[in-house]
Amino acid sequence: MSAYSGTYGTAGPGGPVVYDPMTLPVDDNVNSYTFCVELKDGQWFLQKGKMIAYYGAIEFNGIGHGRLDHLVRTSFHSPLHASDWVVASGSGKMLLADRAFDVNSYDLDDGNLTIRAGNLLAFQPSLALKQSIVPGFLTLIGTGRFVAASNGPVVFMEPPLRVDPQALVGWADCPSPCHHYDHGYLTGVLGGLRAMTGLGGVSGEEHQFEFVGAGTVLLQSSEALMAEVETGVVPSDPGTPGGGSPGRLGHGPQPPGAPRLPGQLGDLQRRFGL
Amino acid sequence: MFRLQGSKVLAVEMTGDAVKAKNGSMVAYDGQMSFKKLTGGGDGLRGMVTRRLTGEQMAVMEVKGNGTCWFADRATEINLVRLQGEKLYVESGNLLVTDAALRTGTTFTGLRGASQGNGLFTTTVEGHGQAAIMSDGPAVALRVSPRHPLTVDPGAYVAHQGNVRQSFQSGVTFRTFLGEGGGEAFQIRFEGDGLVYVQPSERNTIAGDL
Repeated sequence: MSAYSGTYGTAGPGGPVVYDPMTLPVDDNVNSYTFCVELKDGQWFLQKGKMIAYYGAIEFNGIGHGRLDHLVRTSFHSPLHASDWVVASGSGKMLLADRAFDVNSYDLDDGNLTIRAGNLLAFQPSLALKQSIVPGFLTLIGTGRFVAASNGPVVFMEPPLRVDPQALVGWADCPSPCHHYDHGYLTGVLGGLRAMTGLGGVSGEEHQFEFVGAGTVLLQSSEALMAEVETGVVPSDPGTPGGGSPGRLGHGPQPPGAPRLPGQLGDLQRRFGL
Repeated sequence: MFRLQGSKVLAVEMTGDAVKAKNGSMVAYDGQMSFKKLTGGGDGLRGMVTRRLTGEQMAVMEVKGNGTCWFADRATEINLVRLQGEKLYVESGNLLVTDAALRTGTTFTGLRGASQGNGLFTTTVEGHGQAAIMSDGPAVALRVSPRHPLTVDPGAYVAHQGNVRQSFQSGVTFRTFLGEGGGEAFQIRFEGDGLVYVQPSERNTIAGDL
């Protein structure tokens, strides 16, 4: 018998809460920052480097591993950023965490959810991961569970609403995310200068994302963004957003791909009638 | 008696006894307290030399008095550890407060320390009493038993206690060089009987040299 008996999963007097493979939760949070996944001869996709500890026999393989080809074909649809993901397979319990951010699990039941690529930590292979048309976002489709990180707890909101770009974590079911600009006081030459230089008062809230329709929008309670994760390059077909084919899509002085912000020099020129 | 007030402030009630604390970590006290800088981590002359040689320098003060003293360090999460005769291994930068009755020293960690970028040596705390360690995000205490060995990512490891053997596992294969590695190429495996503390983060800012 070990010297620690009696403290299983409970706080001992003046000591820590101790977990072992039996008392660790199954597919649930250990605390706000750590998530436990139970594998029973199963598999999970996870982002590289998010595993902090595990019990049992679990193997981590890069997605290019030959034995995983079938799995990758069925539930992984953006081969170009496959190098950021690994497959954990085997039996045991595994703890996931990401830079002490809040982590939470979400269940999808024959649904779809789009999430900022940097926030997604892990997902069950019963879900299919695809690149979103919106650059920097990934879409999960199907039935299963996934784990996502956020800076502060996540709040769920119903559209119609406008959200701050930095607070947006993802959205489910609503197909209409679009940009919204409050141009109200940013008109004219002075307004353009103000937006361009930040002089004379810019609230920093002139630009939002707008959602309408039925669905749910996920927001984090902080405007500190998580590090961006490369979602991979999309094919450079004509008509593919972010596809990056300068020659074919380019028209006008603006290089394609760079978002055209209000108050950019191009707008000033237009205002001057140049 | 150690008591956490929230998760980032430690309150220690003292009745004439003493604790060893990281230099400058006192945030408030009531009653009568005296603060005395201890040279060389409070391990005596030999300890001082060892610490200097191993790079495990600790700036430690002795706090003694009657009343309550509150400790905190850069809003870092604090975790309480109770020792009943076993040894706690922790990086000196992650050690906040120990009972004065606990002995501190240094030990060789080998490859594990090297894999974390913490150097080859670590601090040990031994005896009967309480200690407070710091982590990036609240640490999870995981039990290691003979039937249930534990594998830990070196970046998330904070401390361990008890009679635990550690071995270094490397998952580096030819695939790693093809850029198809598992992303968890270095792992530490703990076997035996004891506790391992892991933090929900793989940043090493706190374990690093301050």
